[in-house]
Amino acid sequence: MGASQTRSEHKYQDLAEKSGFSLEQIKILHKRFQQLSGNEETISRENLDGIPALANNPIRKQIIDAFFDKRNQHQDEVGTVEEIGFEQFLMVMSHFRPPTLKTTEEEKEAMRREKLRFLFNMHDTDNDGTITLIEYRKVVEELLSKSGAIGQEAAKAIADAAMLEVASTNVPHMAPDDFYEGITFEHFEQILKGLEMESRMHIRFLDVDTMTMRCGKSTS
Amino acid sequence: MPPLGLMLLLLLTAAAADDNLPGTGAAPLREPGLGVSASAPPLLLLPQPGAERGTPGGALARSAEEPAGPGEEEEEGEHHHHHHGGGYRVVQWEWSYVQTPYIIAIWLLVASVAKILFHFSQRFTTVVPESCMLILLGLVLGGVVLVANKKQLYQLEPALFFLFLLPTIVGDAGYFMPARLFFDNLGAILLYAVVGTLWNAFCTGFCLYAAKLMGVIDERVQADLLDFLLFGALISAVDPVAVLAVFEEVHINDMLFIIVFGESLLNDAVTVVLYKVYISFVEVGAENVQTADYFKGVASFLIVSIGGTLVGLVFAVILGFITRFTKKVRIIEPLFVFLLVYLAYLTAELFSLSAILSMTFCGIGANKYVEANISQKSRTTVKYTMKTLASIAETIIFIFLGISAVDKSKWAWDTGLVSCTLVFIFVFRAVGVIGQTWVLNRFRLVPLDKIDQVVMSYGGLRGAVAFALVVLLDGERVKAKDYFVATTIVVVFFTVMFQGLTIKPLVNWLKVPRSTSRKPTINEEIHERAFDHILTAVEDIAGLQGYHHWRDKWEQFDKNYLSKLLLRKSVYRKSELWEAYQKINIRDAISVIDQGGNVLTSARLSLPSMASRASFPEVTNVTNYLRENGSGVCLDLQVIDNVPGAKVEEDTETHHFLAGNLYKPRRRYQSHYSRHFMPLGEKERQDREVFQRNMKSRMETFKSIRHKRHKKERSLKKRRGSESKDGGEDKPRRNVSWQDKDPVVVPVESEEDKGGHSDAEREEDVGITFIARKPETPKQRPKSVPAALDVCQSPAAAPPSPSTGNAHLPWKGGVGSPPPCVSVEATKIIPVDLQQAWNQSISSLESISSPPALPGEPVHPRVSALARLGGPRPASYTPPGSTSGSTTSIGAQVSQGSFCFPENKKKEEEEEEEEEVSQEMRPLMSSLRPPGSLPPPPPPPGSAPGSDRRRNPCVYLRSLVTAPPPGSSEPHSRGPTQL
Repeated sequence: MGASQTRSEHKYQDLAEKSGFSLEQIKILHKRFQQLSGNEETISRENLDGIPALANNPIRKQIIDAFFDKRNQHQDEVGTVEEIGFEQFLMVMSHFRPPTLKTTEEEKEAMRREKLRFLFNMHDTDNDGTITLIEYRKVVEELLSKSGAIGQEAAKAIADAAMLEVASTNVPHMAPDDFYEGITFEHFEQILKGLEMESRMHIRFLDVDTMTMRCGKSTS
Repeated sequence: MPPLGLMLLLLLTAAAADDNLPGTGAAPLREPGLGVSASAPPLLLLPQPGAERGTPGGALARSAEEPAGPGEEEEEGEHHHHHHGGGYRVVQWEWSYVQTPYIIAIWLLVASVAKILFHFSQRFTTVVPESCMLILLGLVLGGVVLVANKKQLYQLEPALFFLFLLPTIVGDAGYFMPARLFFDNLGAILLYAVVGTLWNAFCTGFCLYAAKLMGVIDERVQADLLDFLLFGALISAVDPVAVLAVFEEVHINDMLFIIVFGESLLNDAVTVVLYKVYISFVEVGAENVQTADYFKGVASFLIVSIGGTLVGLVFAVILGFITRFTKKVRIIEPLFVFLLVYLAYLTAELFSLSAILSMTFCGIGANKYVEANISQKSRTTVKYTMKTLASIAETIIFIFLGISAVDKSKWAWDTGLVSCTLVFIFVFRAVGVIGQTWVLNRFRLVPLDKIDQVVMSYGGLRGAVAFALVVLLDGERVKAKDYFVATTIVVVFFTVMFQGLTIKPLVNWLKVPRSTSRKPTINEEIHERAFDHILTAVEDIAGLQGYHHWRDKWEQFDKNYLSKLLLRKSVYRKSELWEAYQKINIRDAISVIDQGGNVLTSARLSLPSMASRASFPEVTNVTNYLRENGSGVCLDLQVIDNVPGAKVEEDTETHHFLAGNLYKPRRRYQSHYSRHFMPLGEKERQDREVFQRNMKSRMETFKSIRHKRHKKERSLKKRRGSESKDGGEDKPRRNVSWQDKDPVVVPVESEEDKGGHSDAEREEDVGITFIARKPETPKQRPKSVPAALDVCQSPAAAPPSPSTGNAHLPWKGGVGSPPPCVSVEATKIIPVDLQQAWNQSISSLESISSPPALPGEPVHPRVSALARLGGPRPASYTPPGSTSGSTTSIGAQVSQGSFCFPENKKKEEEEEEEEEVSQEMRPLMSSLRPPGSLPPPPPPPGSAPGSDRRRNPCVYLRSLVTAPPPGSSEPHSRGPTQL
């Protein structure tokens, strides 16, 4: 990497434009990427699976999957890949960029949609444009999977209830024998309209490298 | 509870002690809260002898017989002597015996009645914050007393304030603090609280000194730098009481609120420390202060704040631990909560640590575990008691502020000082906020924009804490005390009155995002939980040790250790419970969602109550049903509806039940600050639930509900229309729309006399109500599934009705489009809310029905009869009754197409709430009269005084229920009202 210093600088520039991260952030993330991949060019599921901090995360699998989902790469392709390079890694990460003071309303709206899309894609595992009940149940189950022996039944019940809610929200006039197929993206947007995506769904990407200095609990 | 209970207890002991301390001025208090003798507190409220209060803390405890006391007391004394000396008397005048508690009780009564009066006029209260009114009332009362007695008898006593009034408010605020929100913004809060307060204190102090040097401040104000710094310290802290009082009425968005309010709570440590440091400096004299003392000051700040926090947390743990074992003694559960929280406060005071911090953190820390451990009833008790106490305390504080201001002997005026202080305070607050925000925004994920900063600067209200501190000053040492007192009073008045009055318009004008008290939907809950995990995961993947990372760590820790220690086993291992209930208790399941990642958020988790247990099997049915439908949960309950039968009914019921339960745990961050009302939709559910359950059972008995359906739907539509108009407003639409439902609920009751009692409950009943139709109405219910979710109303009760309304069932709209709420007011005060909701629903009904009503004339006779009957007592009410009658009957005939109508009406409603009733009636009246006379005749006879209106609903409902036979209906309609 040292040899190609200027080249990587240049590459970073490109990435910065594409993803919206600053150069410093990209550098830090790149370091992390290499750490995860063991200095390989690409990263695989196993690499991510091995992160110890993730072990307790109930929806680890979905999130990792999201990294390998082409839909989240800002491209129009669908399907999954086995390995992703740094650029893809960055693109997925960029969904979690916080807005700045300078972002305009439209941009914020776009960001919001993007985040929602990310979420939606995460739930819509078979990529057919709808989150079906089965998929939704899966989500809830995973969410609850770490909360003790809550049982699938409970998860199902919750998912069912949530589904009912979506249906009732979005399809108020349902004919007697209608069948709610699943949550489309529009419906998804609709039901989550009340959620403040602006203030959630962000993480802070550091501008300075603190990877080595494990400092105390941050408060803000 | 503890404060009041204690107070009373102490009163007794004090009364006994009086004999031992004849005529002493009684133990002066050195510090607020420090060294209060047992006899002191009870007498705090006693009339003050007036001038004799030299030492800080003043002569708090005076014996009742003290000669210096006001006239009545002396009389007392005499009687007292009689009592001792005279022969047997049949009736004795025992004033001295009851005096203190009596006065306290009277004060509370006056304050409470005053509140009622304030809220008579909704319009007025929307404009003028209650705190202003209370201060004004205090001024008036103080004036009266002053005129009568030539000297001020009552004063806000620091010890009373710090030992009893403040803790109740802080306790309430701490306990119901939305912990997550608080900690999410902790960084900002701390910065503002510490740096901001220091900045304000120093700048104000120095600038005042500069002003003094420049001669702006009069020579008579004998103060040097230290005095001004001291004054700056006490005047610069934003006051939690004032902030709460004003902001809670403004319904500012949560983040802004938590920042300002959190700041006001946490800056207590800074203020107290600065204050004490300066006091000690002043006492030793500026020239004797050594450098080391400054460092001691800094150290003392750390100790006071951190120590206070630790004390609070220790008590939180104790409290959690104790409540773990209260299963057998449910009745005293609330007592533990109050006592320990209060003890946290007192203990901190004892060690002169920051008591506010201590109490706040005790509340925040314990809340989750306590709420999970104690029973629902205890929860409700805690909540109500806390709110009641806090409300009382706040009322008293503001009234006393007003009263204290009247007494001229206590203060001395200097225009220069006052105006300089006002300007400096305002300017430095603004500068401080802007500066700090600039720094903060480089770190915050969600930056604070300009508007936020304006509100934050403007929201820097000073209040009773400053006043109490300034009164505590030692007049001997601080020569300018009287000037400072006057200035403080002016500052407090200015900030509370002027800024309090104008902040609402300002917020409106700036279009500050308001809080929506909307309840999160199930999906939102699920996704919020998902967010947490996603963010944590992404942080982990990105290798960042960010906030989410640490929060997750904390949650793990909490789950693995703390919760095990502090939670009952039954709570901790929910699953066992479920197994006992065949696992699929939907309600519990949902509550699990609430628990989600961390098993313990069960604060809101309601253990199944009796009623729900009874119906579990049914729930199972539902789930089975859902399951049978495979992947596509048949979302259309219609199917069920179409096949009438026992099973169906059961299912429907279970759906109701399910819905009722499902919606329960869904809120997470709600500010429970409000002390004036129990937030309608919020945690109040339990009450509602109980009520609903009762209703349900009663429902079965209820038959003739035909018409209600109509109305309800109409009103709903109406509402919707109207709501959309009001879009901008804060009030959750949902609430409103739910309220519509109430009518349905109530009628059931009408048959039984219970109706009356439930006004309030009904109000709260507002939860999401899904309305299920009875199976018999198959066709009409296109939208059956949601319908099935009808919370409380039993399916059987749901009358068959034309279906148009369905589309507009409130929840749908509510859920789908986050309701910009109707009026802010509505949520605020229950009574008001009630009225409004009613008015609205009634008016909507009318407006809807009236146009079509014309054709429907035939029905009227009945209506008019009703109206006549209703007449005498609640004069204004009659109309509602009639309305209902007419609407119902008419409604049946009228097509539903009419709902556009309502929209027009909406405006009027909002603007002229007062006259709403009358307006609403017009349509009715018109319907009664020949169609031609539509332009409504003037409002019915004694058109709606507030209180009456309140009852309105009942009458209305009753009449609904009983409408058909006019004669019989009358008694019904009136009976309940009386209840």
